[in-house]
Amino acid sequence: MGGSEDQGDVHLRKFQKELSAGTVSLALLAVLGSAGEPMYGYQIAKTLERLGDGVLSGKQSALYPVLRNLQAAGLLDSFVEPSDAGPPRRYYRITDAGHAALHDWAGAWRATRDSVDAVLEGTRE
Amino acid sequence: MNSKLPTTIPEYLEHLRRSLAGADPALIQDALYDAEEYLRSELAENPGRSEAEVIAAVASSYGAPDEVADIYRDTEVTVQTALRPPAPPSRKSALGRFFGVFADPRAYASLFYMLLSLATGIFYFTWVVTGFSLSLGLSITIIGIPLLILFFGSVRVLSLVEGRIVEVMLGERMPRRPLYTVRGRSIWQRIGDMFTDARTWSTMLYMLLMLPLGVVYFTLAVMLIATSLSFIAAPVLVWLGIADANVYIDGWQLLNIHGHVVSTSLPEWVLPVVFVAGILLLFATMHIARGIGRLHSLMAKHLLVKSSQHA
Repeated sequence: MGGSEDQGDVHLRKFQKELSAGTVSLALLAVLGSAGEPMYGYQIAKTLERLGDGVLSGKQSALYPVLRNLQAAGLLDSFVEPSDAGPPRRYYRITDAGHAALHDWAGAWRATRDSVDAVLEGTRE
Repeated sequence: MNSKLPTTIPEYLEHLRRSLAGADPALIQDALYDAEEYLRSELAENPGRSEAEVIAAVASSYGAPDEVADIYRDTEVTVQTALRPPAPPSRKSALGRFFGVFADPRAYASLFYMLLSLATGIFYFTWVVTGFSLSLGLSITIIGIPLLILFFGSVRVLSLVEGRIVEVMLGERMPRRPLYTVRGRSIWQRIGDMFTDARTWSTMLYMLLMLPLGVVYFTLAVMLIATSLSFIAAPVLVWLGIADANVYIDGWQLLNIHGHVVSTSLPEWVLPVVFVAGILLLFATMHIARGIGRLHSLMAKHLLVKSSQHA
């Protein structure tokens, strides 16, 4: 990252960062909520890579701290299992509190998306 | 990207560690763990490709070490503030700061930690002393060595457990993942690493220290709470007509309950002074608890985590 970037790019980067702070948490909850089985970090990252676009297509290392914090907030729980092909893996599973949060957050997200879309409607050229 | 891409996993991790230099050691430990999990999983998914190829591919999906370092510094701040309960409002006036401690959950948690530390201190001390002497003493026989290895492993697990307690109660960020052992080393070398790792020894020192510290913390907490509560209770009981003032039974007592007789040796006129002193002491107790909690968490961080930065 140098000083050669133009101003618009910097603004876009900053906006994406702010946008992703909450949406990534929601996306991770959604992935685990619909998976039905525990998944480990790499699997989650790959699933999101397949489906995700926009701010969700960022670097996958950003997902791990979010997973950890969701767990600290009680929305996920986790356990470690040895694997035959590599290091022991930490599996994450959504908790009941996580399901409730997912439901609430999804509602908040849809409401926000609709109203942002409605507002953006006016700016269309 | 201004630096050359690493070609092996240890190199990648070493690069990441360098990029994170100066960050919270607990964060570094977690970041290294996550990166290693991702890299090893990616390597396991692509058995045909070499380590260097996998790392080159990972640099664009997971991120190059420098990018990963930036991401961890950032997310730690944003997610932490988004999901954690808000910090208590900071009070400006000296009076507000002194009495505001009562609304600070950290002060209560620290007080509870002080009470708990006697129990955990006794346990850690006993565990280390028994485990160490037993396995060292038996090491002239065949069962001593496995016992010693088992004991060292248990010390590492206990270190993570204590880390959780310290983080929850004292609010100091502690690692949530163990350090990965260096790959490609034989089981014997890894056992050897356990003995030469400074962190193992500093963890044991911490556990030994927890007994005297636990005794001091517990005594201080109980003494301060009991003193301030009886300072408050004695005048209140007299004013309610439950206790009698100026009574001496076997010498001077602050508050004496003997059968149905509740009494204090304090003369009537000092009661208001003692009452105010009790209130002040109660608040001071909370401040002391919070201060000790802060000091203790610094020590815990130093002995349980710090050295892992150089491991």
